Amino acid sequence: MHPNHALPVNRRSLLAGVASLAIAGAARAQGSKTGVDAATWTPEYITSIAGTAEYDTAAECAKVVPLDYRGRLTYWYWGPNQASPQIEHEIDAQFWAAFAKTYPNIQVSKLSLDYNTMLDKLRAASLGKAAPMVARLPILWGSEFAAKGMLMPFGPADVGFGDDEFWPGALKSVTWKGKKYGVPTNNETMALIWNADLFKQAGLDPEKPPATWDELVAYSKQIKDRTGKNGYGMVARVNAGNTPFRFMPQLWAYGGGALDEAEDNPTYKTIKINSPGAKAALQASVDMYIRDKSVPVSALTNTQTENQDPFIAGQLAMMISHPSEYAAMLDRAKKATGDDRKIADAVVANMRYGLIPKGSARRAVVFGGSNAHVFNADIVEGGLDVKAARAFVAFMTGPEWSTKMAWVSSNPGNIRGFRSKWMKERLDTIKFLNITTSMLPNGIPFPVLPQSAEIMNIIVPNMLQNALTKKMTVDAAADAAAKQIKDLLADL
Amino acid sequence: MANARPGLLRRIVRHRADYLYVAPALLVMLLVIAYPIYDTIYLSFFNTPPNLALEDKIFIGLGNYQRILGMDSFHEATWNTFVWTVFSTLFAFVLGFGAALALNREFVGRGLMRGILLIPYVISAVAASYIWRWLYHSDFGVIGAISVAIGLTENPINFLDSTDFVMASLIVVNVWKEFPFAMIMMLAGLQTVPDQLLRAAQVDGAGPWHRFWHITVPHLKGVTLVTVLLLLVANLNSFTIPWIMTGGGPAGASEIWITHIYQLAFGRIRFGLASAYSVILFIVMMGMGYFYVRALTKGDAK
Repeated sequence: MHPNHALPVNRRSLLAGVASLAIAGAARAQGSKTGVDAATWTPEYITSIAGTAEYDTAAECAKVVPLDYRGRLTYWYWGPNQASPQIEHEIDAQFWAAFAKTYPNIQVSKLSLDYNTMLDKLRAASLGKAAPMVARLPILWGSEFAAKGMLMPFGPADVGFGDDEFWPGALKSVTWKGKKYGVPTNNETMALIWNADLFKQAGLDPEKPPATWDELVAYSKQIKDRTGKNGYGMVARVNAGNTPFRFMPQLWAYGGGALDEAEDNPTYKTIKINSPGAKAALQASVDMYIRDKSVPVSALTNTQTENQDPFIAGQLAMMISHPSEYAAMLDRAKKATGDDRKIADAVVANMRYGLIPKGSARRAVVFGGSNAHVFNADIVEGGLDVKAARAFVAFMTGPEWSTKMAWVSSNPGNIRGFRSKWMKERLDTIKFLNITTSMLPNGIPFPVLPQSAEIMNIIVPNMLQNALTKKMTVDAAADAAAKQIKDLLADL
Repeated sequence: MANARPGLLRRIVRHRADYLYVAPALLVMLLVIAYPIYDTIYLSFFNTPPNLALEDKIFIGLGNYQRILGMDSFHEATWNTFVWTVFSTLFAFVLGFGAALALNREFVGRGLMRGILLIPYVISAVAASYIWRWLYHSDFGVIGAISVAIGLTENPINFLDSTDFVMASLIVVNVWKEFPFAMIMMLAGLQTVPDQLLRAAQVDGAGPWHRFWHITVPHLKGVTLVTVLLLLVANLNSFTIPWIMTGGGPAGASEIWITHIYQLAFGRIRFGLASAYSVILFIVMMGMGYFYVRALTKGDAK
């Protein structure tokens, strides 16, 4: 068995983080209509349940809103872009065709936005009472709109689903002051990706990824020293979601956190960004960037998209990303020509996925994903068609489309999706999917606070930049970040 | 007091037809300029934390102004804004004036050269920012690759990921983008310098430098003042290039007032604080606007 495929979920790891709550919650659902026993969440179990259930989306939707309902819908989402693999574009097109077939009388006006600008646009639109009826938002953003009273109370029950059909961690992200304001569409965890050939050239075991973050720092240096290529694809841009998704797993692994979000029962009142664990994680990043110079110099302005080109060109050895990265690399390889094509094909053949390294405290990954939210009628441009919104969210978050829409980059938000034939097809055709999926028990959600986006997208990246540019020492950068978070929470 | 000017109301009544004609334009200006200014000033007296809807804002008087003036990031952004504005304006003007002087002479291909020099001005700022970002890229930028290839540097130059070089790198892009504006303005000014004066001075034995310094430059005083003021205002308000290329980073090294305001408003959802910041910027701009109008209307009273 591949060392990274072995993930027996023991009792200790189950209790380690919020993801363990998710498993415990889902385990309670055993015997319910999901038929999923999340207590035995291993790559083998995931494979064994796939394809064991049939679902009829139209029939399920008809119980929520009649299929001949006539209405209109406005919808904003973070759709596929130029960096997305072709298959994501195709599935997006299939989704809209299928919805039009299921609800032929609902007119949809949709807007696909870029991840890095969508939040600002939605904030401006909401303030200007020009919000869409429904928006699919990354897990981090919803609480801000809920806290401001801009979202309509809306949960799984409103679209015919039980709470037990979703990960409790995901439901937590749509809950504000005890009320639900959304339905999870997909949940995701990332993994470590490496180029086995570069490992070999550097004298490392090509099939053995770094087991700990300390090892990752050492591997990165060895790769740089022996091959001249960058070791680890660090990302530290401010105002870019990619940064916390890659740095927070490191921070949590060393025992740190922005607040106490990595604890079993987070209160979001204890600041841990300047804890010894957080400083150790920051120091590890400084060691890679300043001491070893083993990561891209452009890390401060890079997003993950800027890591894709050097990786496919064989100039970067390791990075953290989605399962979709494999499909994205395949696409890039197909587009390459001449000698570039040969290099790209070799990189794809040498691409490996493994678990994100452990730290002294835990193995951690961001429990990510998206949720569908319905905006309050008073701020929706042209008024809210509640039935159309319900029909759409029921269609989108059911087992079929929550699986298909997450085809290469994520996992179905609706747990029943794991039993579907589409999940089986995904597992059969998408390389490494079982590895990223098996990271789910290590998933930690960002704090469910309206200030979360500011903490994760601005304060944490600023802390990184202050230390990486030597503007501040590690201690000073961490303390400055702690003060900013303290001021932020005191502002409430 | 037979010569006393009639009151404002009487003048409006007397010229009511004229005022009626400009009324629609005035109304639009009130809506799109005056109201946002009023609303920004009003909002600047409120705390607007991200967990509250705008309707629930908390009145704090001058609290936002005190907070801004006490922020380290404000002082850093103020210095950056000064450097950005002064150097962008200076170099854009000097380069634009130089190009105007060159284009004011007859030579083969002058029209083509004029067209080429105008290209940076007509390219979209967003597109230009992305192109320069890739040219500057610290790992695989073209400029860095060339500097290594010709042996100028051992490693690619770190333009945008260095707190030492980022501001200078952005200023270069900004100057490249806006020097054609100065060129057009100065070229127009040069064409108003009386030819007979220059020829008379030449006949009197004045050399090129004396003709330039004693005839051309004094004639360009007005257009120079207007051009410099417009460049200063444009640079103080410049957002696209620094935001797209660096987002104010790394570590705030290219954060200027306008990007800081945007970050406060839309990144940190502090509309009250951002409004107070905008009011400070507005006051500075009004000061410049005063000098601009004075420069434009100089001589009107004569």
